[in-house]
Amino acid sequence: MNLHTIRVIITREYLNKVKKKSFLLITFLVPVLFAAVTVLPALIMLFAKEEGKKIRVLDRSAVVQPYLTDNALATYTFCPADTPVDSLKAALPASGQDVLLVVMPVPDSLFNLKAESYSLKPIGEGLKGELQARIRQAVKYKRIDDYGINGLPAIVENLDPDLSLRSYTLDENGNETVSESGVFMTVSMILGMMIFLFITLFGGGVMSSVIEEKSSRVVEVLISSVRATELMFGKIIGVALVALTQFSLWILLTVALIGLAGGMMGKNVFTQENVQAMGEMAGSGSMGMHPNVSVSSAGDLVTTLGSMPWGEIILCFFVFFFFGYLLYASLFAAIGSAVENEADTQQLQIPLTIPLMLGFFISIVAFRAPDSPVVFWGSMIPFTSPIVMLARLPFGVPAWELVVSIVLLILTVLLGAWLSAKIYKVGILMFGKKGSFKDLWKWLKMK
Amino acid sequence: MSLISCQHITKRFGTKTALDDVSVDIPQGRIFGLLGPNGAGKTTLIRIINRILIQNEGAVLFEGRPITREDVARIGYLPEERGLYRKMKVGDQAMYLAQLKGMSASEASAELKKWFQKFGIASWWNKKVEELSKGMAQKVQFITTVVHRPSLLILDEPFSGFDPVNAQLIRDEILALKEQGATILLSTHNMESVEQLCDNIALINKSRLVISGSVDAIRRDYGQHRRSVEYTGAPLQPDSAVFDLVSDEAMDECRMALLAPAPGADNAAVLTALLAQGANILSFSETTARMNDIFISLVQS
Repeated sequence: MNLHTIRVIITREYLNKVKKKSFLLITFLVPVLFAAVTVLPALIMLFAKEEGKKIRVLDRSAVVQPYLTDNALATYTFCPADTPVDSLKAALPASGQDVLLVVMPVPDSLFNLKAESYSLKPIGEGLKGELQARIRQAVKYKRIDDYGINGLPAIVENLDPDLSLRSYTLDENGNETVSESGVFMTVSMILGMMIFLFITLFGGGVMSSVIEEKSSRVVEVLISSVRATELMFGKIIGVALVALTQFSLWILLTVALIGLAGGMMGKNVFTQENVQAMGEMAGSGSMGMHPNVSVSSAGDLVTTLGSMPWGEIILCFFVFFFFGYLLYASLFAAIGSAVENEADTQQLQIPLTIPLMLGFFISIVAFRAPDSPVVFWGSMIPFTSPIVMLARLPFGVPAWELVVSIVLLILTVLLGAWLSAKIYKVGILMFGKKGSFKDLWKWLKMK
Repeated sequence: MSLISCQHITKRFGTKTALDDVSVDIPQGRIFGLLGPNGAGKTTLIRIINRILIQNEGAVLFEGRPITREDVARIGYLPEERGLYRKMKVGDQAMYLAQLKGMSASEASAELKKWFQKFGIASWWNKKVEELSKGMAQKVQFITTVVHRPSLLILDEPFSGFDPVNAQLIRDEILALKEQGATILLSTHNMESVEQLCDNIALINKSRLVISGSVDAIRRDYGQHRRSVEYTGAPLQPDSAVFDLVSDEAMDECRMALLAPAPGADNAAVLTALLAQGANILSFSETTARMNDIFISLVQS
């Protein structure tokens, strides 16, 4: 290997990719997206608060009034129970009130009510839910009251428990830490997805670069100056440096943007209330129904994040990204060498995209059931291990499993790079034909 | 002395033999033509000399010793399948290729600027290759081939893509490089340029070496030792002891005959016989075959 020429190759590959408009675009757009995903929910919650509606209530049942207390959603005024509905309806536009709520009893075996609302503009789901809940509550307690059992309303009140499951993890010494499984899931999902995206993106980048050199016919001049393997690995290293540059810029810019957005909106973006709101938005919508059951406190969230083995995660991220990338990039390079335009790669790429997709899907299993056998084997087999192991990491992985997985991966990288270089060397000189799997196999056996 | 000596080169791709025991010597400081029909194995031989491919049998000697990776930096190669990065600036690209040949950045920059001036293309330095015409790109490509002052230039169809004016420019440049001591291996189907430029040739057909030697000797050998005579007077009669008459045509002011001398008959004997027939000889010369005809007859036989 000639260091001078390899350095020249790496430099060209790096500068060429970094100077591209698409690189700049992706580098600056992704942090904006990240920041948006982080800050937007908080922003939305900030501006989603509707101004309270003024509601005029005609309560013919005489039971609802105590349950309708003013809050941020609505303020109530009550009119005498014998006011005719029609006159109230007619008066609504000029009254300065937003909504007319009419509640009247209906004959039934049990006590029951009928409620109607009239407004000039349709009322929102939030307000509708609020009114329904209040009236339902009034009916419920009226019925309980009707049983005539002394003290029953108080008993029922106390029946509704305030309960949430707090999860702790124990280490060997019996120390416990609060651990919120939702947080693990999110971190695991992000890690798995990032590795998957990076390998696909930059592995594909190596392939296009190989195809570009072959289709522009510059490759024969190049390999009359340098060895084919020098060219291939120079290219792979050059693209890896591009990936590192992009990754570092993403982190820096995302942090800067979030900080900036936070600063601009004052301190109230990451209040406990907003962090909870983000959690609610991230989780399913139904969580909103039982706010104090499913959503952990912001404190637990932070504790959980803090308890994760971040040093190990970051180190492993780089190790698995680097070797996973190396494995796929060299295979992508071999495929690129067989064709002269990107459209012809679709069939040849299948053996690479299948394990990548498989790894991605197993990583989805990993954050639901981190200890299942499919996840274990997925994190051991080299073609899926970079993605699956990263998804497993937040839940804690025994050291021996990590070591075995990394060693297997490195051995496969060496084998894969060797085979790829053999195919590449022959493939880049085969002009005017579209390589098939049969050709690749033939080139592999060539001396 | 030979700069490059290919000795008994055999190259197989799987079951297909691309070169079969081919030996070629490329003399120092000469222009050597490598000829052959498409698919004969020329590109394979060039790639073996370049160390892009490794032969199965035989050896390539560079200045009398086995060729190494370092020697390849002293070769400038213009492949038939050539091109440049379309999206890269001309100057950056030329710098890149020069540095791959081992030049330092400053050295490459200085040399390239000189060549760009000489070819009148200095203003292209910051243009992208895709903005250039094919002929313009070929000029840049030629410069990148010669910028590191190679001892051996391998040019595969160097004139394709050039208009006559630029083809002449390249031809002059090749001759100038030869003057400066470079050895040139020229592979082409353009027999006219072989006759103009080459000192020696080798012809490969169906993986085998068919003929090699100096152009003059080959043309003479394949000229079948005919003599052409311009004369006035009575039409010539064939004389079986001295010559056979291949053709004899009346021109405007003279007659033109093509003679095939009998074995053992030298020019003096033929001339004596002609004079004996009373011919008034205006010119008498040995004919040489055209490279084109030699090429076709050798490849077809």
